[in-house]
Amino acid sequence: MAVFTAEVFQNEFLPQGGTDVHAIVTLTSSGAGAAATASGGVAEIIMVDTSGSMSGRNLDAAKHAAQVAVDQIADGTWFAIVGGSHVAQRIFPYPNAVRDMVQMEPGARFEAKRAISTLMPSGGTAMSTWLALTDRLFATVPQAPQRHAILLTDGKNESEPRAALSAVVRKVTGHFQCDARGVGANWQVDELREISTALLGTVDLIAHPDDIAEDFRDLVQRSMSRGIADAELRVWAPQGAQVLFVRQVAPTVEDLTSRRVAVNALTSGYPTGSWGDESRDYHVAVRVGSKPVGSEQLAARVQIAVGGEVLASGLVKARWSDDDSLTARISPEVAHYTGQAELASVIQEGLAAKAAGDEATATVKLGRAVQLAQETGNDEATSRLKRVVEIDDPEQGTVRLKRNTDKLDEMALDTASTKTTRVRK
Amino acid sequence: MTGATTPVAVCARCGGALQPDDRFCEECGTRVVEAPQPGTQAAVGTPPVSAKVADLDDNELGVDPGPVPAPPARCRSCGGTVAADGYCEQCGEPAASARDHWSESPAPWVGGVCDRGVRHARNEDAMALAASGGFAALVVCDGVSTAPDSDVASLAAVAAARDVLLAGGPDGAERATGSPAARTAVFSGLLARAAVAGDEAVAATVREGVGPEHAPSCTFVAAVVDDDLLVAGWLGDSRVYWLPDDEPGEQLTADDSWAGELIARGVPREAAEASPQAHAITRWLGPDADDVTARTTATVIDGPGWVLVCSDGLWNYCSGAQDLAALVRGFAQARDGDPTRVAGDLVAWANAQGGRDNVTVALARAGAARGQAGTAPSDAEDQRPDQHDDPHDDEVTTPVRRVSEPPGSDSLGSTRPKD
Repeated sequence: MAVFTAEVFQNEFLPQGGTDVHAIVTLTSSGAGAAATASGGVAEIIMVDTSGSMSGRNLDAAKHAAQVAVDQIADGTWFAIVGGSHVAQRIFPYPNAVRDMVQMEPGARFEAKRAISTLMPSGGTAMSTWLALTDRLFATVPQAPQRHAILLTDGKNESEPRAALSAVVRKVTGHFQCDARGVGANWQVDELREISTALLGTVDLIAHPDDIAEDFRDLVQRSMSRGIADAELRVWAPQGAQVLFVRQVAPTVEDLTSRRVAVNALTSGYPTGSWGDESRDYHVAVRVGSKPVGSEQLAARVQIAVGGEVLASGLVKARWSDDDSLTARISPEVAHYTGQAELASVIQEGLAAKAAGDEATATVKLGRAVQLAQETGNDEATSRLKRVVEIDDPEQGTVRLKRNTDKLDEMALDTASTKTTRVRK
Repeated sequence: MTGATTPVAVCARCGGALQPDDRFCEECGTRVVEAPQPGTQAAVGTPPVSAKVADLDDNELGVDPGPVPAPPARCRSCGGTVAADGYCEQCGEPAASARDHWSESPAPWVGGVCDRGVRHARNEDAMALAASGGFAALVVCDGVSTAPDSDVASLAAVAAARDVLLAGGPDGAERATGSPAARTAVFSGLLARAAVAGDEAVAATVREGVGPEHAPSCTFVAAVVDDDLLVAGWLGDSRVYWLPDDEPGEQLTADDSWAGELIARGVPREAAEASPQAHAITRWLGPDADDVTARTTATVIDGPGWVLVCSDGLWNYCSGAQDLAALVRGFAQARDGDPTRVAGDLVAWANAQGGRDNVTVALARAGAARGQAGTAPSDAEDQRPDQHDDPHDDEVTTPVRRVSEPPGSDSLGSTRPKD
């Protein structure tokens, strides 16, 4: 049985008249065990781009990667392979098969790999059709609550308007989790980010086709090692209080505020997907009514619930004081993750401005990113930024945009922008 | 039996055993919301739970009836349910620990509330009440904030003092009988001994290695109501007021404080109370006290009224007896004379004024007309001997008023800041 713990980092002291309470809550799970594959509680679908642009090395590598992934899918797991172009097709089980998904066993594994090897490139790209088919396939195995998909593409979603993709993403949200991967430099980071963010997965760049197999192996292994099918973050705030935002801040920045579902009048729930043995940090901000100096009040209960049962609870408190030495202090954890969240957004805004030809904005935003990466000790972000800008003064955030940057460097900076570092102890 | 200490309560969250002094559960770390039920160590560290005190029969006075099931904790702010984590499920208000806020209602005509107030982190006030028939003992001690563990000390002191005073009650070994003068002598002696017992109880709470300069200390005030007789004893600045319905109220005690002693020397009250050290007390209970002889005063009650015993957490906001009498009358009318609820109103009122200090208010409805509006239910009358049958009644023609002189009152050498 999985065990969760909750740790709260905050400065609970507020000055007279203070109303806003910020806290970082670290939720850690242990004893999650492996996913319930043998009993048929897990389903896995791999979506491979088979559009015309994939022809040659990319499709060969993708086929190999999909076969590697199939090898990693544990026996008993419900699975299917989807080939996607401007339409989506079930590759395995074979299109003429009666069942939409089958449980993995040696014979199925052999046949699936054979089916993958027959994939031929043709057509355009309409990812909404891939997601819609995947959703329909998952719906045929209601006995498998833990559902994970991988989407691999190499190009833009050019065969349909963006709104069509967004509509389907909204429709399938909450039905399954999806990691999205782009190979090469011709795909759109924001398109895959929209998918992976809504579907509680990750987005990443695979620069070279040869690396797809390794990445797929990791993704499937990670999925199979998540023994907690679905956990819900819950935030209780007192009557009359307002939850300003709820944000996952580690391992990546994800704003959860808009994903709120009401648990009861005072408690909001935010889906967090499946969990293995891991640790995630959340930044919660609550606005409470000010109380007299000397008063104490609970500002939030931050909880993790599995199957409706609360397994851990962190208490965020507010205490009003007239002692400036207590109230002026900012929690180092809150400061760190506030900076990391801003870092993610200024990188994305800076790159978007650069792409739009607004060099002035791009320079300011990426300069601020350099400054924040330096302040929060995010060395990986700093080294990615260095490939895109010349840094004159990291502390002031003075930079110049590089000419002739490699598109892949910009995409790597973009996809990794939400990855955060933990607080240096 | 294993010989281990018998647990006196269990954690509301995980069911782990709690010892009397536990503030957090050993098993799961949950804050202890309901105080462990007082066992043999009841006098130290845990106040009595109000429900228990209210359930006491007269002949069980002072005897621990054993654990009673704790009712689900209610939030003192909004009335919501207090969760196992120690905070209200509705408004997030921290649960009042039993030490931070409790009430006692030993008889329908006697009740009190002891509260942490708003500004202080701990409740260093303490209160112990007892009643039987027409007899009541009301004890309040106000722990000195500058000394650590004064919350433990004050609680130990009130319990010890109350137990001494009970000896003069209907079931006591030294039942006071006879004329008011004779009973006054008995109760004055008991009050002096109660102060000494309180002082010894404070000394017993001093932890090993704590020097006298850091020893806990507290004020002491007690009122004994015995039918038509009211005897008060005190050290420090906690007070007893007598607030008759038909006559001007009066403060019976005279503060052992810098201001009080200046006033006694003829300095005008305004000037005395404005002096920087006005609130420093000159006498107290505790290992560093020079002298713990309580001053006493006696009054014969000749009409209905309220006996009010309080800490400075209340009178700081309303010192004058007339103003206080008006407050009490107003609340008594609204509360149908229930002393515990009136005391609760006074505490809430003090907190609304700022609650800068711990607040304790104990009330007894005294005088012949306790059946009237704002008084106890009629069943209380049955427990009380009819005053007009008192063979000594005729001897009293005027109220007795004797105030014993404060020992060493000619010296202002020793004071201590109280807050």
